[in-house]
Amino acid sequence: MNLHAVATVFRKETRDNARDRRTLFRVFLFGPLLGPIIFAGMMNAVISMNLGSATKALDLPVAGAQYAPNLIAFLRSHHANIKPAPDDPAAAVKAGMADVVLKIPASYPKDFVAGRPAEVEVVLDAASQSGAAPVRRVKALLNAYSSQLASLRLLARGVNPSATHPLAIVDQDVSTPTARGAMLMGMVPYFCLFATLMGGFYLAIDTTAGERERGSLEPLLGTAASRPSLMLGKLCATAFYSVCALAIAVAAFGVAIPTVPAAELGMQLNFGAYEAMWIFAVCVPFVFLGAAGLTVIAAFSRSFKEAQAWMSVALIVPVLPLIFVAVHPVHSQWWMMLIPSLSQDLLIMTVMKGNPIDGGFFALSIVSTLVVAGVLAAYAMRLYRRERLLV
Amino acid sequence: MIEVDAISKRFKDVIAVDGVSFTAPDGRITGLLGENGAGKSTTLRTIATVLRADSGTVRIDGVDVRAEPERARRRLGVLPHSHGLYGRLTGRENIRYFGELNGLADAELDARIDTLVRTLDIGGFIDRRTEGFSHGQKMKIALARALIHDPRNVVLDEPTNGLDVMATRALRDVIRALRAEGRCVLFSSHVMQEVAALCDDIVVIHNGRPAAQGSPDDLRAETGESDLEEAFVKIIARAEGH
Repeated sequence: MNLHAVATVFRKETRDNARDRRTLFRVFLFGPLLGPIIFAGMMNAVISMNLGSATKALDLPVAGAQYAPNLIAFLRSHHANIKPAPDDPAAAVKAGMADVVLKIPASYPKDFVAGRPAEVEVVLDAASQSGAAPVRRVKALLNAYSSQLASLRLLARGVNPSATHPLAIVDQDVSTPTARGAMLMGMVPYFCLFATLMGGFYLAIDTTAGERERGSLEPLLGTAASRPSLMLGKLCATAFYSVCALAIAVAAFGVAIPTVPAAELGMQLNFGAYEAMWIFAVCVPFVFLGAAGLTVIAAFSRSFKEAQAWMSVALIVPVLPLIFVAVHPVHSQWWMMLIPSLSQDLLIMTVMKGNPIDGGFFALSIVSTLVVAGVLAAYAMRLYRRERLLV
Repeated sequence: MIEVDAISKRFKDVIAVDGVSFTAPDGRITGLLGENGAGKSTTLRTIATVLRADSGTVRIDGVDVRAEPERARRRLGVLPHSHGLYGRLTGRENIRYFGELNGLADAELDARIDTLVRTLDIGGFIDRRTEGFSHGQKMKIALARALIHDPRNVVLDEPTNGLDVMATRALRDVIRALRAEGRCVLFSSHVMQEVAALCDDIVVIHNGRPAAQGSPDDLRAETGESDLEEAFVKIIARAEGH
């Protein structure tokens, strides 16, 4: 092993790839920014949709409003903007012209006076995304009106209305706004790991499979530098691009997350400089694991295309433990720190929930990730020593 | 000096090289002659330590390539079949990269590049990115890269392939200059004129086996042909019958 040769290879590969605009775009823009943009965009859209409909006046087309003037007055007093109904309510809702239509049949006054349940019809489209919130609001208002009338009727008959509420249900939520916010940020760990792998992806292919395909590998192997030195220089260059991509991704989350108005949902998104630094520190060992893994794939693939195909599969591997956690929500236990990507995921979630990180867990995650990285690097070295590397 | 002693190499079921031996001495040009697929490239790659022989030994200035591959490579400049330059790097950066990998210090490296710019006449394009280079320009940069560490032994695998007349002539002059400097030059070719024009010694390989070796005059005398091409055809026919 010759450190001078390692440094030479590292310098050449970082410079060579810095001149490739396509690589730079994928490594430093597409990979790291994809997650934060999707996150901020999606969250902003979802939250503003929910908040907007809760505070805005509710547009409510009503058919047969003349049969229930008191109900209409109640709805108006609760910010419903009563409008004439379209001729065919069902068709209008189906076509998306209206989110919800209320139909009051002519039988309403008669049933109402007689004390029978008076039917009102809510025309809705359960398959419509935008309709869900208005429908919920209409139903809540109707329920409120119904129970208000029920209480009045009981009082008129000399019965205490509380008799109909044998149970009083009280929520005691032990979560903090920060912990609730962390739930929203569940995809942050994956995108950080994804950016890390994407960062090294093209460099790993270009410096091994690409070099072979261009025919520059044979002259390179003919220099005095040993194969392990060449491999290590390339691996370091891959890791360097990875770590840059990771830093950009974390910083981008730092910019994107505060734009989400989570406080209005009673949540707090805990993502400042302190959290960003922890997340970066938690992911750095994974950089070496990713770089070593990508180098192994590039070294055994016979062509650029084959390497690309395998690496696309490799991008999915770190998600698998995360899917497991999503299906089987778990509390962090020490053995989970032995599984790379799962340990990073759990530690990042801990940080974002505002909880302190267990030093032992953190150490275990670093050591286990670096051990796997070392095993992969040793395997990459073996592949580099094979004759088949060239042909 | 390059000494090849009874090397054999097989790839799965194919025997690419079978018992090839020869010595390429300093100050002479040795040509490895054979048809396509005769085993020339495999022999040269084994000398360059890119491939490992199944049996037999290769010594570069007495250094066994198997025991000390890195030391052997330092004494060897190789121009492989594919030039494989880095397109996004300039010619100079390509050359420097290999110089540094061969352990040259900065000052030494700059001095060597200045020398090569003169001998190979590459000053006009050395500081441009190599992706737009003509075939001849690429070959010259690749040759400069192979010679950057001033190796005593130079191995060229079909160097004139794809070159036009002027570039071929320029390359011949460079090869003769390398000989004049007392280096050992070993190159492969399947072009008879090439070999006839340059070589002091010829090694003919056929189907991975040595078919004949000697100076051009030796080969002519041995076969009783005055034309080297006829001599070559006779040698091949003889090897086939054998």
